[in-house]
Amino acid sequence: MTEAIWSRGGGGDCIRLTGLPAGADVRVFPGTAVPTVSLPPMAGRLERDGADLCFVPRFAFLDGMSYTVTVEGTSAAVLVRPRPERPATTEVTGIRPTAGEVPVNLLRFYVWFSAPMSEGYAAGQVRLARDDGSIIAGTLLPTEHELWDGSRRRLTVLLDPARIKRGLPSHQEAGYPLRSGKPFRLVVGEGFRDAQGLPLRHSAERRYEVGDEERRHVDPVSWELAVPPAGTCEPLQVIFGRPLDHGLLARCLHVRGPGGELVDGTARIGPGEQSWQLVPSRAWASTVHQLVVEPVLEDLAGNSVSRVFDRDLTRSEDQSRPARPVTIAFHPG
Amino acid sequence: MGEFRLEPGRVSLRSAGPITFGPAGILFMADNAAATVFAVDVADPGPAGGAEPFDLEDVDARVGSFLGCGPGDITIKDMAVHPLSHNVYLSVQRGHGDAAQPVLMRISVADGAIDDVPLDEVPFAAVAIGDAPGEDDERLDTTLPLGDEGEEMQFGTLKIRLLRQPIRTATVTDMAYAGGALLIAGLSNEEFSSKLRRIPFPFSAGIVGSSLEIFHVSHGKWETAAPIRAFVPYDGGASVLASYTCTPVVHFRLADLTDGAKAVGRTVAELGPVNQPLDMVSFVQDGEEYLLVANSAHGLVKIACRDIDSQSPLTEPQQPVGVPRETKDLQGIRRLANLGGSYVLALQSDDAGRHHLRSLKTASL
Repeated sequence: MTEAIWSRGGGGDCIRLTGLPAGADVRVFPGTAVPTVSLPPMAGRLERDGADLCFVPRFAFLDGMSYTVTVEGTSAAVLVRPRPERPATTEVTGIRPTAGEVPVNLLRFYVWFSAPMSEGYAAGQVRLARDDGSIIAGTLLPTEHELWDGSRRRLTVLLDPARIKRGLPSHQEAGYPLRSGKPFRLVVGEGFRDAQGLPLRHSAERRYEVGDEERRHVDPVSWELAVPPAGTCEPLQVIFGRPLDHGLLARCLHVRGPGGELVDGTARIGPGEQSWQLVPSRAWASTVHQLVVEPVLEDLAGNSVSRVFDRDLTRSEDQSRPARPVTIAFHPG
Repeated sequence: MGEFRLEPGRVSLRSAGPITFGPAGILFMADNAAATVFAVDVADPGPAGGAEPFDLEDVDARVGSFLGCGPGDITIKDMAVHPLSHNVYLSVQRGHGDAAQPVLMRISVADGAIDDVPLDEVPFAAVAIGDAPGEDDERLDTTLPLGDEGEEMQFGTLKIRLLRQPIRTATVTDMAYAGGALLIAGLSNEEFSSKLRRIPFPFSAGIVGSSLEIFHVSHGKWETAAPIRAFVPYDGGASVLASYTCTPVVHFRLADLTDGAKAVGRTVAELGPVNQPLDMVSFVQDGEEYLLVANSAHGLVKIACRDIDSQSPLTEPQQPVGVPRETKDLQGIRRLANLGGSYVLALQSDDAGRHHLRSLKTASL
């Protein structure tokens, strides 16, 4: 009579088998029964431990998974790997943009989570919905490659660019994913799993109004600067005149002093991603400073400082601009 | 493997991603979590492959059984066929979240036997990739790791282990080896751009290669840039056909891509609305070179290379657009790889979500 239990051995978790005849053919299969079709057994090795045999897997047993042990081709035991019971604690901490109104050719959202997440759930759990709760299908880019930051806490969600780019069949046939004047919500379902495999505490959403299309370059020269007094640590305020991309804003704006040195301080993105400020860690000197804008900085529709999202070759104002930083001089007074 | 500057050691993969074979059976493996591409001598044990087809039902269930999990815990990220033995290599993610584990699998075409390829002590080289955060981006996201990752910090009497990882990342979507270089297409999680990275191989310390932005024109009116989703070199590596997340198929010559210069590819076809290109392969039929494109919404699309070369840039917005193409009634094909000269191996998913390997005879495509 063979008995099989979870145990430790061979440097890790194992299945300990007792009462086996010497030289028995032991195999382990994932699942609750011996597979009816020919499947390879789970990779691992058998180690003798006293009178027992230990099956030590090459790849760790998965929580919640059942394993069937066969001896001489016949099922001898089914073991279920326990799954630790834990409450759901992860939640959505932010959905960007935070602007109340977005252009009809909006390109991108960012969803922030409070803990690292599992990949593979974005397509099923992130969706656009109308005010009546109905799903707006075919709007988000269906991608095999989810776009996460290094710690899997920020997910980038793209609207289907084929429906935003003018001239492509998708845009001509189906139009923009959004409709001007028709509000919508970005919804993150609670079925999105965190890295522990647990669902979210609750779903999350953000509602947007939809405005007209935005096809212009991001133009730093048109920005409004509120220049701080010299000798103070009051913030430099920059007002864009339209919302810009939250992710890029966080790295595309810098201030340099008269010698070209970076002005250290605390940068903050303003409400609705319509402004930015820098509080210096040392008082402003009474001299010329430069606000440096990286050319890849984009607005909500993917237009950047150097190029518009899709350039109409017949429009001179759409022409690409040099892909180098734009500098704006200011003098703390 | 000295000529390729491979050194023995452990390939510490953090994630499973695209794979492709380079010279002398060296496998390039993209690790998006680590922002690294590894070049690995996989020491394929097989004899030279013949001209036979290879088919395998339920490949995900078989791989899952070997790895001790169900098919739902298996994500096949990419597939490559060894150029000499024709053994099939799968880049597999086992499990999800913190339990996720990248595994390189090898399937013998001789008998269908499945095994993993240990990466503990293999000749390899590595290179940092894409728009990996670096000199211009110091933003890091800080989390508390479960294991021993990260660094230990002292806060008063309290010691805490913190893991700091980049916010800006680049995700490799496809790779190919051509003309002595590894070509890498990727998606940024921030800016929307079309970057193709070219890294000379063997990798050299300090050389990260060049980054080429490729624009394309639709209907002679709209010039756009978009991330390349899949691409394939052809014409002996002189030309590249790339398909975009927004479905245009664009041709450019590698020789035309010079560092720092703006390159404009030629749109030669569009694959249709609500569709994503998934993979591309080139093959020879009756002495002529053809390209095969796998799509999310359509069957396989076959395009003759000579039609691409003679195609003028698209000027008319009407359908059908672009070069003549045939659509093969083969649905659910997600990956393609050459299986010798006589077959193309396809990874196909069926309506039940199961995955199978199918050989498509090039003479019949």
